Amino acid sequence: MNLIMSDRHLELPPADPDVTKWVDLSQMKITNCVGCFGCWTKTPGKCVIRDDAVKIYPLMAASDRVLYVTRVVYGCYDTVMKTMLERAIPVQKAFIRLLHGESHHYQRRVVPKRAVVLGYGEVSCREREIFRRLVERNASNMNFQDVRVEFGPEDGVEQAVRDEVLTWERY
Amino acid sequence: MGKILILNGSPREPRSNSKQYAALFAKASRMDTEYRAITKTNHLELCRAAADCDQLLLVFPLYADSPPVTLLHFLRALAEHPPAEKPRVSVLINCGFLEPEQNDVAVEIIQAFCQANGYPFGSVLEIGGGEAILNTPFAFLVRRKIGKLAAAMATGRSRRLKVTMPITKKMYLGASTTYWENYGKRNGITRAQMETMEIEGR
Repeated sequence: MNLIMSDRHLELPPADPDVTKWVDLSQMKITNCVGCFGCWTKTPGKCVIRDDAVKIYPLMAASDRVLYVTRVVYGCYDTVMKTMLERAIPVQKAFIRLLHGESHHYQRRVVPKRAVVLGYGEVSCREREIFRRLVERNASNMNFQDVRVEFGPEDGVEQAVRDEVLTWERY
Repeated sequence: MGKILILNGSPREPRSNSKQYAALFAKASRMDTEYRAITKTNHLELCRAAADCDQLLLVFPLYADSPPVTLLHFLRALAEHPPAEKPRVSVLINCGFLEPEQNDVAVEIIQAFCQANGYPFGSVLEIGGGEAILNTPFAFLVRRKIGKLAAAMATGRSRRLKVTMPITKKMYLGASTTYWENYGKRNGITRAQMETMEIEGR
């Protein structure tokens, strides 16, 4: 399954809903993670906050190809995407393993994925470098087997997404 | 000698490890300190408080390899409502992983904020094993490094400090497993239940 998750509305060519899911985070009600660890130690695999996030992190886990579209601020995901990424920790377990020699959480049923992260906005060279390193770090915690980071201006986002999905075997 | 405003950016502020680290810092500091938690509704108030201090110390945990969204929202407000005299910004960050270096990117994000908005950047203390280290025999190592951070901030030096548990990774895996097992037990949840592969029951 493919997942397109964006922090803004996108006009995209119609997709096969059995193949590609599209989540427009700007239309979702998602509050921020409160760090309660309930999803690890009270209701494992389920967030205790029952808002729209609980529909999205299962899609993130089940997809083998993801395209995340986000404004980049100071080399970080802007708050809309970041809020969702923080709310996705039910896909991990509390327990820690070694991965590439570093400690990381075990994953639950998270499909290994090819990921493209498309950052937009006015992003300096330094911020681009920081963001690339951030996504590289995320790769270890989000089961990205292969990841690419692209940048573009805000008014070019839709075209960049269209160009990307055209390269997919199935859409 | 000036004043330090300590801002806790943890989403679980009342029960946060960051609150404990902030308290240790306040105890170690020779400068006056004021402690405030960042909430959803007090950003403007904190921006005004930032005008009355010489230095800001941002204390927060690592969330998804970067600063928590609680802090990011506040940084946006601080960029839009800057104090006339911009305080020097220092960072005290902790992550649950053994390697304090896993905090590096989050620190760079704060530095990028400072650079973009004209805030001088000060010192950093990165804590590894930060979820549990204060409840281990190694808590003194954290207190010592927090003391060094406080001294650096008092003298205006920029230092980059790190601390973690001085144990092997294998020992850490064992200790963290016990820690989380006991955490689950307190909630009546077994290790097998915590190990479920299901997400939202599927």
